[in-house]
Amino acid sequence: MSPLLLNLNTAICLSLTLLVAGCNAPNEKQYQIDYTTQFPQVSGGTLINAMTGEPSGLISMIAGESASSAISSNIFNSLLKYDKNLELEGDLVAHWEISTDQKTITFKLKPNLKWADNNPLTSADVLFTWQAVTNEKNASPYASDFLLVKKAETPDAQTFRVTYEQAYAPALDSWAGLQILPKHLLEGKDLHTTAFARKPIGSHYYQLDSWKHGEHLKLSKNANSVLGPAQIDNLVTRIIPDNSAQFLELMADNIDLMGLDPIKYSRIIPARPELQKKLALYKELGNSYTYMGFNLKHKPFDDVRVRRAINYAIDKQEIIDGVYLGLGINIASPYKPGTRWSNPALTPYPYDPAKARSLLKEAGFTDSNGDGILERDGKPFSFEIITNQNKEREKSAVLIQRRLKEVGIDVQIRAIEWASFISRFIKTGDFDVVVLGWGLGLDPDQYNIWHSSQQAPGQFNFIGYNNPKVDKLLEQGRLELNPDRRMEVYHQFSATLLEDSPIIYLSAGYGLTAIHKRVKGIDDPAPPAGIGHNSQDWYIPKSLRRNEISAH
Amino acid sequence: MNTQTSLLQKALSNPLSLAGFIIIVCVFVLSMLAPIVAPYDPNYIDVKAILLEPSIQHWMGTDGLGRDVLSRMLYGGRISLLVGLVAVGISTAIGILLGALAGFYRGWVDTLIMRIVDVMLSIPSFFLILAVIAFLTPSIINIMIVIGLTSWMGVTRLVRAEFLSLSEREFVMASRTLGAKNSRLIFTHLLPNSLTPIIVSAVLGVAGAVLMESGLSFLGLGVQAPQASWGNILTDGKEYIQFAWWLSLFPGLAILITVLGYNLLGEGLRDALDPRSGTNH
Repeated sequence: MSPLLLNLNTAICLSLTLLVAGCNAPNEKQYQIDYTTQFPQVSGGTLINAMTGEPSGLISMIAGESASSAISSNIFNSLLKYDKNLELEGDLVAHWEISTDQKTITFKLKPNLKWADNNPLTSADVLFTWQAVTNEKNASPYASDFLLVKKAETPDAQTFRVTYEQAYAPALDSWAGLQILPKHLLEGKDLHTTAFARKPIGSHYYQLDSWKHGEHLKLSKNANSVLGPAQIDNLVTRIIPDNSAQFLELMADNIDLMGLDPIKYSRIIPARPELQKKLALYKELGNSYTYMGFNLKHKPFDDVRVRRAINYAIDKQEIIDGVYLGLGINIASPYKPGTRWSNPALTPYPYDPAKARSLLKEAGFTDSNGDGILERDGKPFSFEIITNQNKEREKSAVLIQRRLKEVGIDVQIRAIEWASFISRFIKTGDFDVVVLGWGLGLDPDQYNIWHSSQQAPGQFNFIGYNNPKVDKLLEQGRLELNPDRRMEVYHQFSATLLEDSPIIYLSAGYGLTAIHKRVKGIDDPAPPAGIGHNSQDWYIPKSLRRNEISAH
Repeated sequence: MNTQTSLLQKALSNPLSLAGFIIIVCVFVLSMLAPIVAPYDPNYIDVKAILLEPSIQHWMGTDGLGRDVLSRMLYGGRISLLVGLVAVGISTAIGILLGALAGFYRGWVDTLIMRIVDVMLSIPSFFLILAVIAFLTPSIINIMIVIGLTSWMGVTRLVRAEFLSLSEREFVMASRTLGAKNSRLIFTHLLPNSLTPIIVSAVLGVAGAVLMESGLSFLGLGVQAPQASWGNILTDGKEYIQFAWWLSLFPGLAILITVLGYNLLGEGLRDALDPRSGTNH
């Protein structure tokens, strides 16, 4: 940050301070902290966060879970990263080059990189990390992207070069997701059992200071951080499994930020002035959506008329209004609305029960015994929706149940605890219909979810989708490096998917976050990369910090 | 039958058990009349009326989908009572059968049955039920059966003890000497005379079953959506306990009062049965 910019900042802050002071009612109590005051950026302080599940370890390529990567992304760098506008930029890498045949990528590391323990970080570490993620013994869930690399080499300590069998469009995105591990500490160790997973040494803004099981993880600033120092000294992440308990802690000022559900965001906090005074609310469109998916191997869901009929019979806007309190978007393609991959020409299926009824009739369903439920070949049209114990999804299912009953389909609902939901129903394919969500990466490649080859137990195409046209588009999209042609491929893919209706998009929801107003420097409104994109620049002015007890 | 009527009369002369009796009758009547007294359809969703505070339109407020809590409470009461009665019916039937076998035939039959009872009692029943439900589809019928199948041990012990002591009594010995068959001994002498303690334990058992059902529904393993039960209304309320207090308070109170009612009546019956507490035994 240039000094000029800093000065300018201070100037704006000062004038704002005056303004706010001028507006304050004179009878306001002296000791009450006014969080709207502006302060210049200072380093120091502690930010307290909470998570529901404890990470199993901090080598995220092994753990493969969000709890692990939430912590480890503060400790380890990748070769590349996304900037605030979701364009790729160098993280460990100063610049990179793609060969003219688009099969080889050469990464040049920044000079003088160091691990937190002062050892140099070189291309040997990158090569080691690639070997680790592709090593069959490590069984990393992220291996598939990196197995496509035919050859990886390190011409010198600053250079890392990978060659693919054929051009692979999601390659750069995959390198932005792989956290580089230190070779000198991990060589020859079993990554599944190594103590390093609980005492990691990284290169990023923070390093692990202490980990009290079932209580908290404390990170503190890494003096050798390759991207320069972060502002806040310590990041404490407390393990609080219950969402309502987390909210109590947020209200009691014992944590600084948490993700909210729509009711907390738009009903509870706005109704309480004392919470509004100290909590700032942020809303950003997430890269995720909730859907209802059919098991396409079960009858009658193999019939596209039935799937489209059900799509017409469900009122999506009602779900967005009733369950997400308006904090959702009705979508027609499996991409974040407003991004280039989302096809603007597509419109979601409207709520049209009459059309649903006629499609069902066409598919051979009639109410022959007058009980209000449709039958085909003497069998009533009845199925079970399963979902995990997620309040929003359960409520969506109840609304779907009501709408489907109106067109003569009988629906039962079952909410199942996450672990058995995955192992007993999803992996075995033992379900009719699911209500679930997909959280997506930034690359438009959705091969894992829709390609017909991805149906083995544990793989993501558990609905059994098999459409040669979609398969071909997905394969084409992976090979296409020209962004415009690639966009065209995925627009076609979305259009085919919408017409085929193997899933029904219910809502693309907003990510809702409350952050204590003592934390400054947060971009609002959030840029495309989300509010967390500049968290290293967040700061907590001295006068707003908690009284810290230095027990640890 | 006379003994039972007088037992009830005696129990009801105690104001506490009278209160329990009145509570149970009220809950019963309200639940049975739910379709008539409920102001709304319990599953009617109104997305414009989400989480409304109690008011004239909605006496107990509305839930996260805008459904009327009072109507859901009334219909939920039916579920609680149904589960309570059927589960206790099942456990009492099993208890009587096994207790009678053990108490009447004694010997190895008795030893075998009593050891099974010991084994069953050594497993914490709530966890046993959780484990069984995890393998079955959660539904009212399964809940009733599973609760019934895991709570018969107390009745078995009770019936066995009654049979053991009664078969030593003169009228049973006399009947046996006169050549009465086993079935006649059991059904005309032993069983009718052990009925009162069984009734007491059944009444107390209903309270336990109501609590159990609420607990299972609270954990999402009981009655499934959109059907209401006091337990699953309570779960909905858990998330918003500081805000939508009515979602926690009313079902919580309903469970408390109902269980209290059964317990008061059960205790009253037990006291009435206890010769040391009465005068006209």
